[in-house]
Amino acid sequence: MVRLGDLHPVEAEHLLARAANMPAMGVERWLQPPPVTEATVAIVSTAGLHRRNDERFRAGSIDYRLIPGDVDFADVVLSHISANFDRSAFQQDPNIMFPLDRLRELAESGEIGGVANWHYSFMGALPDPLLLEETGEEVGRLLAADGVDVALLVPV
Amino acid sequence: MATASISLIKEQTERVNPPRALWVPFELGRPLGSAEDPQFQRNVIRAALAMLETATEPTIEDYPVEAPDEAGPGQWACPLSIAPPDTPATATGRLLAEVSRLRPWSAETRRARGRTLFGASGAAIDQVDEVVRALTSIAETGDVTSMPAGDVAWSMPPPLLIRHLADDLRTLYHEAIAARPGPDAPNHDALNQWIFTETALGEVLLAVADRLTEDGSRRALLVRGLLIPEGHYRGGSAFASGAARIEPDRR
Repeated sequence: MVRLGDLHPVEAEHLLARAANMPAMGVERWLQPPPVTEATVAIVSTAGLHRRNDERFRAGSIDYRLIPGDVDFADVVLSHISANFDRSAFQQDPNIMFPLDRLRELAESGEIGGVANWHYSFMGALPDPLLLEETGEEVGRLLAADGVDVALLVPV
Repeated sequence: MATASISLIKEQTERVNPPRALWVPFELGRPLGSAEDPQFQRNVIRAALAMLETATEPTIEDYPVEAPDEAGPGQWACPLSIAPPDTPATATGRLLAEVSRLRPWSAETRRARGRTLFGASGAAIDQVDEVVRALTSIAETGDVTSMPAGDVAWSMPPPLLIRHLADDLRTLYHEAIAARPGPDAPNHDALNQWIFTETALGEVLLAVADRLTEDGSRRALLVRGLLIPEGHYRGGSAFASGAARIEPDRR
């Protein structure tokens, strides 16, 4: 288990400084999705994930990569640039960052309505979340247009 | 479309105040908590999605279940003998020898998993010696901006390529030790402690970090921070002090 106090003090200080500079997003309009058992769910990750032949993320990338819902995990790689999180668990089990198998299981058991055909990945560790405003809104529109009811936002 | 988020750094989530966030007490890099534990992972997702039916205003909930502990520094030791009997005189020789001893074990893990993260640098797995030579060449010459020699279609120019050269070698090292798992898997700190105090790879990465320091450009110093985890560069931060870490890349 790791909380900020368990991280290296320099990293903890950096993450706290980042928090202090983050904008309060607020909620313009409260959206109530259909019941979870009827909802189509997509994953939106900030782990810098992408398919092997996609362009790799760079430091500060503000674009996104598309990951199809039927992707084979052998084709999913990661080019996040931070050295301050561990890749070994993802190497062992991609679901620990990108829980696509788990969503498929929840859909199969009827706990969610379905799994989206497309999922999205961004590069995290940006100095200001507002840099992602434009591409974030685009992804939101794309997800909504595809009939996705819920985006499960997964950090790294 | 509604959102439900998993949160790892609660202080950041409190600041942003998204509609529904489930703060989880897990390590960075493990937002679903526990590898190869489908039940544990499903429960985390269930808790996050349940907020869609309970929250009526921006809400952060604490997830009450801890992930299983992993072994920290001092609790885990590399199960493989990586130093060759007659230690080569050069860093390149030491790193090539070390990689050569780990390579068959990493191949076992890749075969069992049917996948690998190796390749971020653009190198194929049978080009790992070229990755080693690219990294040691940078350490020896101090040239942190020229494309390395060799037949590899490198994925991007240095200095950022250096970050991916390191990642590819770390992938090979992680895969090798995963072929000989002990009772507890090593956590991030234990892995870093091993790499940076016991391996030729750590020795070469720290030498490359010094070369990035000598270059002194903003990009070189940024890559130094992306190369060496906190606490392993002269005991402190590998990022240049006072500098913003990452600028947006609008290409």
